[in-house]
Amino acid sequence: MTIEYTVRIKNQGELIMNNFIVRECTLLTRMSGIKEAVNLRELRDRVAACGENVLYHHFCETLLRPTFDYPDYHNDFAVWTKLYLGDRVLEERLGILDPYTIGSLEDLRGTMLDIIDGRLSELPVNPVVSKGNEFYFLEATTLVFETGVVIEEPSQLPAKIASMTNGSIFYHFIEARRRTPGCSDDFSEWLVQFGDAGDRYAKTLCSVDFSFLTLAEMRKLLVERLGSLGGNNG
Amino acid sequence: MAKSLAAYEGIVNSSIIRELRILGDTLKGIRVVHVNSTREGGGVAEILSWMVPLMCDLGMDASWEVIEGTNDFFSVTKSFHNGLQGFPVTISRKDMETHLAVNKANFARLRPSLEDAEIVIIHDPQPAPLLGLCPERKGKWVWRAHIDISHPYLPVWKALRPLVKDYDASIFSMSQFAQPLPHPQFLIAPSIDPLSDKNIDLSQTEINAVRADFGLDPDRPLLVQISRFDRFKDPLGVIEAYRMVRKVLPVQLVLAGGGAADDPEGKAVLDEVMEAVAGDPDIHVLLLPPDAHRTINALQRLADIVIQKSVKEGFGLTVTEGLWKGKPVIGGDVGGIRRQVFNYHTGFLVNTPEGAAHRIRFLLHHREMIDEIGLKAREFVRENFLLTRHLREYLTLFHWLLHGEGKSRIFL
Repeated sequence: MTIEYTVRIKNQGELIMNNFIVRECTLLTRMSGIKEAVNLRELRDRVAACGENVLYHHFCETLLRPTFDYPDYHNDFAVWTKLYLGDRVLEERLGILDPYTIGSLEDLRGTMLDIIDGRLSELPVNPVVSKGNEFYFLEATTLVFETGVVIEEPSQLPAKIASMTNGSIFYHFIEARRRTPGCSDDFSEWLVQFGDAGDRYAKTLCSVDFSFLTLAEMRKLLVERLGSLGGNNG
Repeated sequence: MAKSLAAYEGIVNSSIIRELRILGDTLKGIRVVHVNSTREGGGVAEILSWMVPLMCDLGMDASWEVIEGTNDFFSVTKSFHNGLQGFPVTISRKDMETHLAVNKANFARLRPSLEDAEIVIIHDPQPAPLLGLCPERKGKWVWRAHIDISHPYLPVWKALRPLVKDYDASIFSMSQFAQPLPHPQFLIAPSIDPLSDKNIDLSQTEINAVRADFGLDPDRPLLVQISRFDRFKDPLGVIEAYRMVRKVLPVQLVLAGGGAADDPEGKAVLDEVMEAVAGDPDIHVLLLPPDAHRTINALQRLADIVIQKSVKEGFGLTVTEGLWKGKPVIGGDVGGIRRQVFNYHTGFLVNTPEGAAHRIRFLLHHREMIDEIGLKAREFVRENFLLTRHLREYLTLFHWLLHGEGKSRIFL
């Protein structure tokens, strides 16, 4: 899937730069229909069998859910392992999994299963959670729509990002990494056309490690970093 | 019914209002009917009192219908309510007949609007049989369960399930509250209205007046638990925690709730609470009328720490209210409190009176943390548990029902 841009036309049809169309996404979560897991082996077997949409939700869409944004880990499996299974070793091994640097969701599933299988072979018993602490397998639908806002120049990025919703930040800066050809964010893909002028913005975007940020913090940091380049952040 | 989205600009970012308007634009003119069993009192009526006007403000033809019932009917539905929450109750064949008969009588009145609506949302078990009575329906029907049915008394769930299984979808507040059904089950958490009397900003004069009314000392720390007098809210555990803290710090405690007088179990719990208070002038047990929303609002704002030491809880909107007032919440490690209270960030989860006492002392010792947590708590609610998020999820659901059933991504 590629991102779409509008094309600005000047005078008699002379093509200049493409505009960036700001989109937004909202999330609607639902039960996946998979029975909840009460122990590590059940978690393993259900991860092996669940749809990619389920994996994607628990690894990537957690930032968009109405939930607390400061857990130690952003993937639900690591959080559950920490809080309810109480296995610090497995928690750390699952917590470091980065869905944006692993090629595909199937690769991610394979890696996760290897980790759990390895841990099960190390443990004398299959760890169980108490009642009420089961892992529920969820999935979600995202609704994507245009906001009517466009960005014409890189220098407008700080101001435009400052007024974006969390849904826009997620869609363009996070979710884009699984959808753009260069596994990058939408802003960086758009900036390519501006050559050196866009490159310094792209490099700044690339320097943001978003793993430990909430969407609101991400917006703030992006505005600060891009604003320091001298753009219009008013 | 005069609420408008514009009133929430400034409380939430204007981009969020813009987002709602875009989502609403493509739903303009669709007829949405909400049905529940009461116009006033209770969480469902509170939600509908803002949701329906705001849907209208977005251009939808939204309406709110209330089914009218007999005392027998409400006695049966109360049994449903208790049974779905796990209490062993008996629902007889005659009870089911009463339930159906009242719904039939209401259907005769509601038929035109229910048949024509593009979307019908049926709230809780009381009006659930309406679906089966409306074979000429044209739209999508959704059953919204506001209560925790994670561990229902099985005979009651078996009686209700046939009434709800044929809906196009259902909505639960949390995954833990859901039951397997042969249709999509969506998860939409409840929310608070920041402009309601319970949550709106109050003047310092009004807050001070409430403090004076109840004889609270402005110079000593105040702990506040707002909840009905119910064993699941563990008021005795709160008093125990207060006593442990009181050995070292001169704290005051407010336990405020209402509705105990006509509730035999509530009366028994209240008696136990009064016995435990044993005349301590620094424990203020307040029995408030059901419309004392501004008083509750003021008490939460007066608190240094809000307590919700439940041992069983639904979503726990009193926790959300406390967080919205910028207070750290010490809450029981159960139900929806777990989705709102995060150690060192928005408060502390506890499992015992000892744990509660420890965290109260910890926070009162680290006063600066009370302010830090309070700021974070308010922003957490602003991002996640205000009605704007709740409305957005309903609008997304409507798009899913009308245009995207079965899809994982919908492009408008």
